[in-house]
Amino acid sequence: MGKMIKDAVSLLIITMVAGIFLGLVHEITLEPIAEQKRLTEQRSCQEVFADADSFEEKTEVLDACAAAMAAEGYTVQSITKVMTAKAASGETLGYVLSVVDPEGYGGNIGFMLGVRMDGTVNGISILSINETAGLGMNADKPEFKNQFADKKVENFVYTKTGAVKENEIDAISGATFTTNAVTNGVNAGLAAFRYLAGEEG
Amino acid sequence: MKELIMIAIGAAFVNNVVLSQFMGLCPFLGVSKKIDTAAGMGGAVIFVITIASFVTSIIYHFVLVPVDITYLQTIVFILVIAALVQLVEMFLKKSIPSLYQSLGVYLPLITTNCAVLGVALTNVQNDYGILKSTVAGIATAVGFMVSIVIMAGLREKIEYNDIPESFQGMPIVLVTAGLMSIAFFGFSGLI
Amino acid sequence: MKENSAVERLFNGIVKENPTFVLLLGMCPTLAVTTSAINGLGMGLTTMVILTMSNMMISLLRKLIPDSVRMPAYIVIVASFVTIVQFLLEGFIPALYSALGIYIPLIVVNCIILGRAEAYASKNKVIASIFDGIGMGLGFTVGLTAIGIVREILGAGTIFGFTVMPAIYTPITIFILAPGAFFVLAFLIAFQNKFKIGSAKPDAVTGEPACSRTTCINCGNAMCAGHKAAAAENGKEN
Repeated sequence: MGKMIKDAVSLLIITMVAGIFLGLVHEITLEPIAEQKRLTEQRSCQEVFADADSFEEKTEVLDACAAAMAAEGYTVQSITKVMTAKAASGETLGYVLSVVDPEGYGGNIGFMLGVRMDGTVNGISILSINETAGLGMNADKPEFKNQFADKKVENFVYTKTGAVKENEIDAISGATFTTNAVTNGVNAGLAAFRYLAGEEG
Repeated sequence: MKELIMIAIGAAFVNNVVLSQFMGLCPFLGVSKKIDTAAGMGGAVIFVITIASFVTSIIYHFVLVPVDITYLQTIVFILVIAALVQLVEMFLKKSIPSLYQSLGVYLPLITTNCAVLGVALTNVQNDYGILKSTVAGIATAVGFMVSIVIMAGLREKIEYNDIPESFQGMPIVLVTAGLMSIAFFGFSGLI
Repeated sequence: MKENSAVERLFNGIVKENPTFVLLLGMCPTLAVTTSAINGLGMGLTTMVILTMSNMMISLLRKLIPDSVRMPAYIVIVASFVTIVQFLLEGFIPALYSALGIYIPLIVVNCIILGRAEAYASKNKVIASIFDGIGMGLGFTVGLTAIGIVREILGAGTIFGFTVMPAIYTPITIFILAPGAFFVLAFLIAFQNKFKIGSAKPDAVTGEPACSRTTCINCGNAMCAGHKAAAAENGKEN
């Protein structure tokens, strides 16, 4: 019996020391991790809005955006961040939306969507993706992403037979799920943008 | 309900733990020589994963999240799983000796089966609640059982075949697993 | 070579008992993350760091950890190091962190780490254990990188992201997908068997390729034996 207590105590000590040590490392790495997240976001913002000088976060419109998306039938997608892209002169060039779509093959796909004030998609930049390597992961390649850029349409649809119309996107071969998720995510973002543009005007 | 069925089919077949996630390969390759033992292992895994995904999910939602120590999840989950396996073993030994006879030898192997920890972590990653986590757990384990039993069935036949010398042993098993993995791609149309 | 010297340990880990090709340990990450050479290298080095640190710690504490609770104690130690490395990767090498994803925490249950803890670090001196960790880790890295390179060449026509195949080559995507992992490993082991059968006939006579004596089954069994021993002792006391 005494031995059992001794064993339990020594295991407890090891676990406690490990726990305390981990807490310490967690505290130390908290700052760099947050910094990395910020950097990734910043890079993505720059990527989808190269000509903007600064980005201003708007937290108060998030609920309204969700409502606007739900009204158009995009209930599973969510917008985690809305920013206005401003030129050096202070003029608002458009919006940057951080969209998360849970319909990917490997769960959530998060990306930044840049839309100019006139409704033209400026570009998308993938933030987090966990799709199959070699198939769904191709969503992060320029060949796919650039299909959305510089188009002014109500909503995008994907096709497997070669895109002809302005609003058509070539699906990633072997990754309909991923294509569907990203396309829906962009469409949801556009729905939110229409609300934002309406607010502004 | 529809969502739960989707999760179940997805976890059991489309994203099969072994053939597409590569979790639990050790037992899949090691304990698949005979159908009986493979089925025994599969049964033990179903048993443990079901309980483990339920318990880890409860601990995550009612302990780790409120106290804000979710960063300790890996260490907490693996300890819970290890303790759970011990408890299940002791419980079965005392209460249901017949079940212990058939599953007992496989239980200690399960702590290091990464499928158990993998399911627990994936559940957290996908923001599954307790019900969804448990369903995903059961389905994942069923997927494991299905693939290991099929593998054992194939290996029993492979025994009688004339295989090139260099491919005897592990290589032919891996090739078989690869072919099964291709076959399981067919399920991806299901969801 | 002197037993347990640094060089002997390194050689043992990289060549003689290479965890990937000879011992067939740690199969999950071996197959799951080797979709490209860089991922294989990253996973190998991450595992090496954790293995070295856990070997060192377990060797330091080997006289303090009671025998009956050694398994949970090892698991706690390994899990702590894994979590620490996970934080560091997330904070400083985010690209690798997102490429390896869930397979970082799963290093905890990698047979290699607990296997080395049980088989080597718990019985040997600190310095030898550290080099055992480095050697095994490097061996694992070599194995993973090799598989990654083969899969990347066949599946994408590149090595470490640089195009090496002529433009006329159409990448065979299946080698990056799950089945490709099984096929590539199968062929690499088969090649190695061929080589061994050629050089060591006695092994071939028994019909058992040299490596199959120490396959994953033994990994399972070794772990099993470890757990069983621990369980039996626990049982006695209760």
